[in-house]
Amino acid sequence: MSTEVADTTNLSEKKDFLVNSSSLKDVRSFSREVFEKFKINEELREELVLAIAEAAQNIVKHAYKDYPDTQDRMAVRISCTDKELEISFFDKGKPVEKSKVKHRAIDDVKPGGLGTFFIQEIMDSIKFKEGDKPWINNLVLTKKL
Amino acid sequence: MTYKVTEEGDASTVFLDGEIDMDKTEGAKEVIFPLIDAGKNVNLNLSNVQYMDSSGISVLIESHQKALEKGTKLIIKDVSKSVLKVIMMAKLEQILNLE
Repeated sequence: MSTEVADTTNLSEKKDFLVNSSSLKDVRSFSREVFEKFKINEELREELVLAIAEAAQNIVKHAYKDYPDTQDRMAVRISCTDKELEISFFDKGKPVEKSKVKHRAIDDVKPGGLGTFFIQEIMDSIKFKEGDKPWINNLVLTKKL
Repeated sequence: MTYKVTEEGDASTVFLDGEIDMDKTEGAKEVIFPLIDAGKNVNLNLSNVQYMDSSGISVLIESHQKALEKGTKLIIKDVSKSVLKVIMMAKLEQILNLE
């Protein structure tokens, strides 16, 4: 389900997805469509799509690590003013332990541990919040435009 | 993701395409790893891969390291601009064999 709220200065779109790796392509498609509508330049658009996909992947891999067959849904909301982009993620998985969210040392080359690094490289801020009911986790990413 | 494999001498070339994410990595490993295990040098052609996330990058690292262990070589060829950007963001352009 997708909802849209738009006026001349503030745009916002939200959509929910099944928490599953097969949904990641749909998360990317949604993000690309929204960024095109918001007229975000193409180079930045693909970076933002990567950051969003990595955050959604973290929900699948970590918040639902023990529930690969869950039927729960996660939601992604993309909001844009003329100065800032805010991307929010909502899920009902295991509560995020902020102290455990870190990427591997970038010069310690090994598989894994890069998703959070990519998000940090692309976005200006990352905030983990408790979600308002029914959500458990609410991740908020921002980027100045 | 679809793939094609061609053989020439002791080298195999794997052509991947589409978008490589967490959902596609097992498929990519199933194609690449047996070739490395068989002692082949592997060329990985990514000219038709338009998108790769951290899971895809992990496959490149794992394949590269596996090839080093086996005494073979993994060469990543014809990387698209968008995938090269992700490889560079991961600071791997000096680690992986790119051509």
